[in-house]
Amino acid sequence: MTTLSRKCVPFTPFDGELSKATVAIVTAGGVHLKDQEPFNIADELGDLTFRVIPEDVDSSRLMVTHHHYDHGDADEDINVVFPVDVLRDLQAEGFVRDLAKKHIGYMGYTMQLKAMYEGTAPEIANEIDRGSRADVVVLTGG
Amino acid sequence: MRGIPTVLITVSPEVSAQMRPPRALYPKGFKVGNSLGRPGMRELHREVLRDALRLLTQDTRPGAVVTREYPEYGEQYEPPRVRNK
Repeated sequence: MTTLSRKCVPFTPFDGELSKATVAIVTAGGVHLKDQEPFNIADELGDLTFRVIPEDVDSSRLMVTHHHYDHGDADEDINVVFPVDVLRDLQAEGFVRDLAKKHIGYMGYTMQLKAMYEGTAPEIANEIDRGSRADVVVLTGG
Repeated sequence: MRGIPTVLITVSPEVSAQMRPPRALYPKGFKVGNSLGRPGMRELHREVLRDALRLLTQDTRPGAVVTREYPEYGEQYEPPRVRNK
């Protein structure tokens, strides 16, 4: 018997068309730019910070810092956890309209669940809400 | 703040279901670290991402995880289980 969250499901309807939608990616897979500060894997409580990844990012400039899953495949092809080039393909074929101006990487491992839920998560939502122009968000884990 | 519709791609469906995500896709048998597939399988990556995005326009049950099979992925893996207390 598993325990379900007692919170209501925060369901936001999507009334538009995908071909007119701008899409942001938010990943818990520990993805960040190579020249951004890596996530702090030394702290066993986890790292509550996140990194903003620009829309025009060259995927070869991305890397993973995360010590709670095997990211060997993501090191080889970041798209297996952060599908930015895949999204560009879908844009090129007209399946979606555009990539959002901002995407987010964070390290989805924490012992500080309350702080993640009440701090980091709304901060990420605000970051996406402010100037990313995203109509929808694709979330990925590792 | 207005809400933004989201869809989750998860390879840990049991763990994710505990949080009752608004919409979620589980590509069956994909291992942790392969949310979209294996490295370089770009057509599979596109298929998974299209299927995830399509959940936004379909009548899904909020809080449920939708399972889809992708035989082209190859060898299947057991997902992490929730440890019962």
